[in-house]
Amino acid sequence: MARVLINLPRTARRGEVIEIRTLIQHVMETGYRPRADGSVAPRDIITHFACLYNNEEVFAAELAPAIAANPFLSFSLVAAESGILAFTWTGDNGFEQTETRSLTVT
Amino acid sequence: MRRTGSAPSRRMPSARAALLVLLLAGGARAEEGLPSLTGEPGDAARGRAIVTSRQRGLCLLCHAGPFPEERFQGDLAPSLAGVGARLTEGQLRLRLVDGRRLNPETIMPSYYRTEGLVRVGPAWQGRPILAAGEIEDVVAFLVTLRD
Amino acid sequence: MRRLALALLLLGATAEARESSFALMSPETQAMQREDSANPGMLWVEEGRALWDSAGCAGCHGDVAGMRGVAARYPAFDAAPIDLAGRIAQCQEARQHRTPFPRESEEALALAAVIGLQSRGIPVNPPDDPRLAPALARGEALYRERRGQLDLSCAQCHDANAGRHLAGSPIPEAHPTGYPLYRLEWQGMGSLQRRLRNCMTGVRSEPYAYGAPEYVAIELFLMRRAAGMAVETPAVRP
Repeated sequence: MARVLINLPRTARRGEVIEIRTLIQHVMETGYRPRADGSVAPRDIITHFACLYNNEEVFAAELAPAIAANPFLSFSLVAAESGILAFTWTGDNGFEQTETRSLTVT
Repeated sequence: MRRTGSAPSRRMPSARAALLVLLLAGGARAEEGLPSLTGEPGDAARGRAIVTSRQRGLCLLCHAGPFPEERFQGDLAPSLAGVGARLTEGQLRLRLVDGRRLNPETIMPSYYRTEGLVRVGPAWQGRPILAAGEIEDVVAFLVTLRD
Repeated sequence: MRRLALALLLLGATAEARESSFALMSPETQAMQREDSANPGMLWVEEGRALWDSAGCAGCHGDVAGMRGVAARYPAFDAAPIDLAGRIAQCQEARQHRTPFPRESEEALALAAVIGLQSRGIPVNPPDDPRLAPALARGEALYRERRGQLDLSCAQCHDANAGRHLAGSPIPEAHPTGYPLYRLEWQGMGSLQRRLRNCMTGVRSEPYAYGAPEYVAIELFLMRRAAGMAVETPAVRP
């Protein structure tokens, strides 16, 4: 379980634009770096991130080896209704992690 | 200060050459510099490659110079532009080999000294930063920097 | 001139004369340090919060907020000069009777990060303990000692040439106010000792082993030299 920091307001007014910030602890091994013994370290990165808002995808990102370790992704969305935000990160070596947060819209 | 003796000077400056240096310098400090480490002329092209390498010469970490293709040149030391006009081959060699003889507080590493160093890493022990032939290559290049 | 200024600083002159390397960073990197939601070091802080409970620190120390001001008063003296990481390890070994987290391990950095955070904004102030005097002198001597195949001392860059550029990088005054910190170059968290080892390797010198008393002595000297500057842990640096 990678450590994750998610920053978003607990409540918002209907129609308000809110900013969501996510930070996940993960190496980003490019797949090109030689190790001390000369062999190339295999790629190990997060490849995909998606945010579902009440099961509807509102934001997604494809990540490539140039992305830094511990990637920070920030995006905005319109607070339409109360519900659940699900954040899913997937990557090499079968990495997959989902975090959920609730949003109350008044 | 103009260069003295035959060019490129490879032999120990004669007493006459030293006197000439003194006269031309108008009585200022006569710094003789060092004679060739190998007796063979250095290769200026190889010298340029050493100077611009941040792994071998390390020069651009501190010095800027006439290298338009090299970004991020340091500003801790005088620019190398024109250094071949300001210093003789022997003087350039002295500064490279052991600049501490001229200024004990200098940050210029001694490129051809192995004594008196503290806790040298195992990978670097027992040898100077540059080999004698590399020193001659660098000197051969630096004397070409006239403007 | 710089030597005189330094001597004055060690005698307790104002902190305003000195500059944190925070000031040398780009606005984007500064923003990364300022925003807790974007600062990757906060991932280690969160890890540290969890360890504070799971590793049993809370059992004696209560809430980690009680650590306020602690990190600002290191290195200290306890049987010998000791840095904060050494104190944590000593606590685990002597009082918890467990194998301490190894130096520079993720757990050790996480605990140091969460404890350091409790001192963020507080002026650096290592104790004025006379028993620290020999270590302080040794630390200063090590700071001024030329070492390595390149034959350079810390002082030659960080006192005499701070503000000038080594290749493209501005040379900071080297005040370790933000450790452990997240270094973009490391893509991870590291201690002051890691950074000192990088510098020593950079001048082609053999670094001391992690935990060596030489590092505690150097840190003591640097923290006295930085006295009055605000703790920045967890800092972000290029």
